[in-house]
Amino acid sequence: MNDRRRINGPAGATLAPFFDDAAPQDLDTRSTRSRPPNATRKLLLKTGVTPSASGSAYLEIETSAKPGLSGLKLSCSVHGPRALPKSAPFSPHIVLSTHVKYAPFATQQRRGYLRDSSERDLGIHLETALRGAIIADRWPKSGVDIIVSIIEGDQDRETSKLQGDEVWDMMNTLSGCITVAAAALADAGIDCVDTVAGGVAALVQDADDGSAPSIAVDPIPSEHKRILAACCVAYLPTRDEVTNLWFRGDLPASDLDLYTSLVGHGIQASKNANRVLIDCLSGTVG
Amino acid sequence: MTTTTPPTLAIPGQLLGPASRYQPGPGTHLHESNLHASLVGQVHITQPARALGPAKRLTKITPAPAPAELPTLSVTPATQLASAPSREKKKREVLPEVGNVVLCRVIRITPRQAVVAILVCGDTVLEAEWQGLIRVQDVRATEKDRVKIYESFRPGDVVRAEVISLGDQTNYYLSTTRNELGVISAVSEAGNTMVPVSWKELMDPKSGLMELRKVAQPQ
Repeated sequence: MNDRRRINGPAGATLAPFFDDAAPQDLDTRSTRSRPPNATRKLLLKTGVTPSASGSAYLEIETSAKPGLSGLKLSCSVHGPRALPKSAPFSPHIVLSTHVKYAPFATQQRRGYLRDSSERDLGIHLETALRGAIIADRWPKSGVDIIVSIIEGDQDRETSKLQGDEVWDMMNTLSGCITVAAAALADAGIDCVDTVAGGVAALVQDADDGSAPSIAVDPIPSEHKRILAACCVAYLPTRDEVTNLWFRGDLPASDLDLYTSLVGHGIQASKNANRVLIDCLSGTVG
Repeated sequence: MTTTTPPTLAIPGQLLGPASRYQPGPGTHLHESNLHASLVGQVHITQPARALGPAKRLTKITPAPAPAELPTLSVTPATQLASAPSREKKKREVLPEVGNVVLCRVIRITPRQAVVAILVCGDTVLEAEWQGLIRVQDVRATEKDRVKIYESFRPGDVVRAEVISLGDQTNYYLSTTRNELGVISAVSEAGNTMVPVSWKELMDPKSGLMELRKVAQPQ
């Protein structure tokens, strides 16, 4: 869909020329993962950042030491519960509507002002993840809008546009979206059965020598040679339930336990994020 | 486990206590016969109201104590942060529920119904405006077939009513079939605030003219 309301730049955007005197072999150096494979990056979570919203939260994932590699910065606001529009049919429970939007400047490739298909996809995943956590029948005939703005995407600016698959970035973004939306929902005072948080685990191959791939939690795509498969899990720790599972990639058919193990590591990552979430929420009441 | 007291602060999903010892109140939910919090906030325990006066002598076998004997656990959200005193006291959204007494303003009337905007629910002023409907058969309890909406309500009147149903997609259904429900404040055609005279008449104190309404019993 064309955006006719704003003056957008030309479709084929170019980057400013960049001259690097470094030797050619330096171009291919990838930063390698310095964390242990089962460690997640540090999170910062804060609620009540938007005064006009009924609930809001801000999440920041640690920027790695390498310059140019930006972390994830998310801001979420929850509006409602409020009356449904007159055209909407009767609903005995709350109607969730989730919007996930990258800021135009969030990623290397400039985003449009209208939501594209990947952003809508993230919104649908987020909605499923939250729907399992909300006690929807406490709020009949009302709707709630959950708006997540991605202020800074999780991307390595030095990798070229063609290199690397954006989908792996989306997994990390989704897990952040779930955590930040759960904090904003709790801030808005909407009944939830549990605090839901997202976690990502991936099956990565770091060497080309045909060694067995390993599982890494909270992967940064640019730190690994290849990502074979990844899954993003939304998990309720008290209930031990998964509300949303997004799996992508191919697993070797020889190892059937790999899938379970990958999901298990995703849950582990989600538990780590949940600890931050609970600390943040306890801080608001304490 | 059963001897522990509930925590003072709660996070959604946190275990508060067994359902055999507490009743679920607002902000909590039941899961596998345990009470869990569903909101962030402070935990309150409300003891049940004790029976007044000396207890009657039991002359017959009564069933096991009713569950109403148990104290009620509820979680109320923290209203104001100590760290942010400038921030306005945040009110939690409230929805009208069946059985609530609400205050509303009449928006328009038709021969079959009066459309109202619900302004106050219980003691709390609502943030959002919810639309309600008083149907002609819900205006009063007697002589329902002789009720005329224009003899009961006029646009602009403030009405006290009870929610009887969540209604259809847009409207809550309201009723004024009790004595204390009905018009509590209205202005006459001349623009003066009127005073109640009888259960179906209001009087303009300046001109002395009467107007018909379903008047609420003054309290």
